[in-house]
Amino acid sequence: MSKLYNPFILSDGNKPSCMQMLQLILDGEASHEQEAYFKSHMDQCSPCFKSYSLDIKIKELLKTRCCGESAPTELIEQIKMQISQNATS
Amino acid sequence: MEETIKQHYPEKEKNEIFNNEFLPHISSMYNFGYRLTLDRDDAKDLVQDTYLKAYRFIESFQKGTNAKAWLFRILKNSFINDYRKKTKEPSKVDYQEVEAYYNSEDVDRQITPDLRVESLKDMIGDEISNALNSLDVDFRTVIILCDLEGFKYEEMAKILDIPIGTVRSRLHRARNLLKEKLSEYAKSMGYKNTEL
Repeated sequence: MSKLYNPFILSDGNKPSCMQMLQLILDGEASHEQEAYFKSHMDQCSPCFKSYSLDIKIKELLKTRCCGESAPTELIEQIKMQISQNATS
Repeated sequence: MEETIKQHYPEKEKNEIFNNEFLPHISSMYNFGYRLTLDRDDAKDLVQDTYLKAYRFIESFQKGTNAKAWLFRILKNSFINDYRKKTKEPSKVDYQEVEAYYNSEDVDRQITPDLRVESLKDMIGDEISNALNSLDVDFRTVIILCDLEGFKYEEMAKILDIPIGTVRSRLHRARNLLKEKLSEYAKSMGYKNTEL
């Protein structure tokens, strides 16, 4: 069935590579139709399946390990103070 | 972006926009500033400068639109125009080469076949953060915007002033470079045979 219609095919007729399809899926940029196609494609494409698992894990690690630090409270105070000073001057 | 139509806000409304739409993003902005400069004091200066500019140009912002993307764009421009000019050498990345690569047959070739999910599970320290910080700032930026902050390609294109196709190709290359770095860490941690 999946060979009949590929919703990733571009208007110029070119078919994106596995990695290009995977990136759209990973970043939530694919349509529902493309997502469904890619799911069935992964069942037959072992490199895609492995890359998908790896890329999801890296994305998750980036989010949990590289975010979450709050801005220093004194920074917020400094900004507010500067703005009120500028407003009165 | 949103700055095309000039707004007219009374003073009270300006403060409301600033407090309710701009300030809630300050931790994301601080993180972005830190990941660009890799220095917490520089990040504070950059964020402060960005917020002061945002207030000064608040009439270029349309209330209720995407404040986060607007602020990120100002911070990115401040970084390039004020900070990077003073402190860092210009970008060495050849984007034409990147684009050519992305559109070539080679794009499906796995650059880093030796990284596995299992090896990532032991990276409980600063490996991911260090790998990200080691990337060239332009590659680092697209990963920050996409993976850390969850911006869509279209928003990233506006923040960075580049076409969506370039966002995609830069992101693809950035992720491969990140995986190469993580593979090095995995090897140093004892994952010898890490074939997929």
